[in-house]
Amino acid sequence: MSNPVTLDKVGEMVLLMGNEAIVRGALEAGIRIATSYPGTPASEIGNTFAEVAKEMGIHFEWSTNEKVAFEVAYGASMCNQRSMVSMKHVGLNVALDILEMAALRGVKGGLVFVSADDPSQHSSGQEQDQRWLAKQNCVPSLEPSDPQDAKDFTLYAYELSEKYRLPVMLRTVTRVSHMRSNVVLGKLQRLDREAKFDFEQFSYVVAGFDKLFYGREKEANEKIAKIMVDFDSSPLNKLTMSGKEKVGIIATGQTYNYVMDALIKIGAKDKVAVLKLGTSNPLPEGLISKLLKGVNKLLVTEEPDPFVELHVKALAKDVNPKVLLYGRLNGKLPGEGELMPLMVDNAIAEMLGEELPPSPRAELEKEANDMIFGRMLTVCAGCPHRSSIYALKRAVKAVKGDIHKVVINGDIGCYGLAWAPPMNYEDTYFCMGASIGVSQGMSQVGVDTIAWIGDGTFFHAAIPALMNAVQTKTNIKVVVADNSVTAMTGFQPNPQSGKTATGETTKSISIEAIAKAVGVEHIEVTDAYDTTATEAAFKRMLQTEGVALVISRRICATEAIRRMRPKRPIPYEVNESECVGCKICLNTFGCPGLNFDEEKKKASIDKTICMGCGVCAQVCSVGCIHERDE
Amino acid sequence: MKTTRVVIAGVGGQGTLLATRLIAETAIKKGLRVRIGETYGMAQRGGPVMGHIQIGDVYSPQIRPGEADALLGFELAEATRRGITYLKQGGLAIVNSKKIPPVEVISGIRKYPKQEELLRLLRQVSSKVAVFDATSIAEKAGDPIATNIVMLGALAESHILPFEDEEITTRMKESISSRFLELNMRAFRLGAEAFRESQ
Repeated sequence: MSNPVTLDKVGEMVLLMGNEAIVRGALEAGIRIATSYPGTPASEIGNTFAEVAKEMGIHFEWSTNEKVAFEVAYGASMCNQRSMVSMKHVGLNVALDILEMAALRGVKGGLVFVSADDPSQHSSGQEQDQRWLAKQNCVPSLEPSDPQDAKDFTLYAYELSEKYRLPVMLRTVTRVSHMRSNVVLGKLQRLDREAKFDFEQFSYVVAGFDKLFYGREKEANEKIAKIMVDFDSSPLNKLTMSGKEKVGIIATGQTYNYVMDALIKIGAKDKVAVLKLGTSNPLPEGLISKLLKGVNKLLVTEEPDPFVELHVKALAKDVNPKVLLYGRLNGKLPGEGELMPLMVDNAIAEMLGEELPPSPRAELEKEANDMIFGRMLTVCAGCPHRSSIYALKRAVKAVKGDIHKVVINGDIGCYGLAWAPPMNYEDTYFCMGASIGVSQGMSQVGVDTIAWIGDGTFFHAAIPALMNAVQTKTNIKVVVADNSVTAMTGFQPNPQSGKTATGETTKSISIEAIAKAVGVEHIEVTDAYDTTATEAAFKRMLQTEGVALVISRRICATEAIRRMRPKRPIPYEVNESECVGCKICLNTFGCPGLNFDEEKKKASIDKTICMGCGVCAQVCSVGCIHERDE
Repeated sequence: MKTTRVVIAGVGGQGTLLATRLIAETAIKKGLRVRIGETYGMAQRGGPVMGHIQIGDVYSPQIRPGEADALLGFELAEATRRGITYLKQGGLAIVNSKKIPPVEVISGIRKYPKQEELLRLLRQVSSKVAVFDATSIAEKAGDPIATNIVMLGALAESHILPFEDEEITTRMKESISSRFLELNMRAFRLGAEAFRESQ
C-alpha cells in the first residue's frame, strides 16, 4: 500500500500521524529539500520524507547533526527553494548558531524548521520549551493542535516565511507529533522555481557589508511587529466569544483538545469564551486584548512553560488589570510538564465555581502500584550493548580491582541505558557527544574515566572532543558501542552505514579511520558478542597511557532481525537437567529473554523474545545454555 | 453519535500499533472521526506501551481515567495497570494472559505478581474480564508475532467497535502484505473464537 502522504487526491480523508501531516503540508507547499536529524518525537517526519522523497522528486537527507541539517536547508532557501528542517527540541540547541543568522539575514525560499518538543520527557533528558528560542531569535512560532492543523499550519508557514523573509518555527509537542487522526488532503504542488542565489539579498559584495551586517535586529523587531498584526486575523487563531461570557480560556496548541473535551463534559460551552491559539510568537495581541477586556477570569493552557501566560499577564496590566489569571503561574495548573485532561477539567471547573468529584479509584490504583513493578527501561533482548557493558565491567574489575574506581560517562542513545539493572554501570550522560568532553575535564584533575558513546553520536558531535583530547595529551579511554545504525530513533542510517536516507549506496565513513586521522594511537575493533575477546580488548585499553579507543561492534539485534524477515533467528534454550539455578545469567546479564522458574529453581528462555545471540551461553557458569534444535 | 473509547496496553515489540491503526483506518473508511494517542518510552522493545483510540465527537488524543469502554491488554500486568486507571466501571477487558517479565523481575529485584492477584484488582473495576493466552493462540496460527491480530479478532467479536468484523478484515487485506495475510486472517479468526469461548 502506498503512503497516504503522497496521495494525489484533493479532499480525500486519510489517517495521518501529526509528523506525517507535517510532511504532507510541506509537499503541498512544493518544497525542494528536506533535512533532519532523528530524535523522538520528531523522527517520523524524516522517516516519512525518506520513504517518499524519490517519488516526489525532492532531496531528503539525514544530516550528520541538526546544525548541518539547518545549514543545508538554509543554503537551498537562499537559492529561492522551499526547504524544511526538522528535529527534536534539543536538536534546536545544536542548530541555534545558524538559526540566529538565518533569522537576521532572512530567507528567500520559504524555510520552515520543526521543533518537536517533549513536555514531560517521554524520551528526552529535559523538557526545554523551545518557544523561548523563537522569541529570542525574532522568528514566528506556530503551534498546531492536531494532524489536520499540522498539515494546514505547515502550508501557511511557507507563505508567512516568504512574505516576511523569515525562517518560521513549526512547534509541535509529543502529543501532536504522535497523534493520529483524520486529515483532509489538499493539492500537492511542484513549484519548479529556478535555483538562483539571491546576490542582492545575501552577498556581502553585491548588497554591501555594512547593510547586511549591522543593525539587523531593528529590522527583525519591525517584522515581528507586523506579523503580530497579521496574526490578529490569521486563520490559525480562532476566538469564539459572544460577549456574554464572564470567563475565558486561551487554549494553546494541543491543549485546545483538552479544553474542548472539558467544556463538553462540564456542559459549559456557552459560558466560556475560547481563543484557540495557533501562534505563540508573536502573540495576537489585538485578539487577546479583546478577550481580556470581556472577561473577569482567564485561563491559559499551554505546554510546558507559562510562555504565553507570562506575556498575557504583561498585556493584562495595560488592558484589564483586574482580570483573574488562571494557569501555571498561580498554581492552578502545574508549573511544568505536559497537561492531562483531568488537570484542565479541574482548572475550568474551579474557574466556573464548580467542583469535580475526586477519582474513586485512588485506593485501587495505589494497591496496583504497590503490586506491579514499574517496568524499568532496559536494552532489548539480544542487544550487543548489554554484552559490551558486561565485558567492560569485568575488564575494569580485573584491571582496577573495583568497578567504581572509574567514572563511566555515557552518551545519548540506546547504550545510555547501561545504568539500568542489572548492569548498573553508567554514571552520567548529558547531551550528544558530551561523554568525551566531560571525561577530559575529569582526567585533567586526576579522576579515571571511560567515555561510553555510540556510533551515531560519535559522528554527530564527538569528533571535535576527540581531537581536543589528542591535542591536549589528555589520558582518556573511549568505548564506541557500535551497533551500526541509529537504533533508538528507528534504525536511520548514519555516516558509516554506506547508505543515504533514501537507500542509495554511498561511501561508508569509518570510525577507526577518523580516530586514526585525528591522532588516536591505540585503536581496537572487537565483536561485541564475543565477551572474552571484548573483555581482553577493554583490558588493553585500560592499560594504555594516553588516548585509547575500542570499537565494540555488532549490528543492532532488532535491525538484524528486520533484515532477515520473514525468517526468525534460532532461539537458545536452557538444559534444565544441567542448570544449577545459580541465577548468574539473570543477575549479571539480565537479558529480557531470560526468566526463572521459582518452583523448579531453573532458568529458562522465552523463545518468543530470544534473538539467538547466544551471549547468555557465554555468561552461564555451567554451560547449560544451548541453541535449540529446530 | 456515541463515542467509543478503547485503551490498548502492552509492551514494546508486541505490535500494538498495527492493531490500533487497523481499527482507526477502518473507522476513517466509514467517514468516522477518530483520535489516537500513543504513549511509548525510549526503548524499542520491552517498555510499557499504551494506545488510546477514540471514535466519535472527541478532541483529545487521551482518554480520561475511568472512561474507556474496552481495554485490550496484550500483557497481563500492563493490562491490569491500565485497566484499573482507564476502564470504565463495568467496561469490557480482553486480556492476554502472557507474562513478559521486566528487567526488575529478571534481575530479582521484584516478583511478577500472580495472575489471580492481578485479575482480582482488575475485577474490582469490571466483572467483564475475558482472559486467554493470545500468544499461544498466535503460535498455533503460525507465529507468536500475530498476537496483536488475535487480540484484534477478539475485540471485533465483542462488538464494542462501531463496525462489523468484515470491515476490519477488508482493511487487513488492503494493508497487510500478502506474504503475511493468511497467517493474520487465521490469527483473527482464532482470536474471535477465543473470545466467544471465554464468555
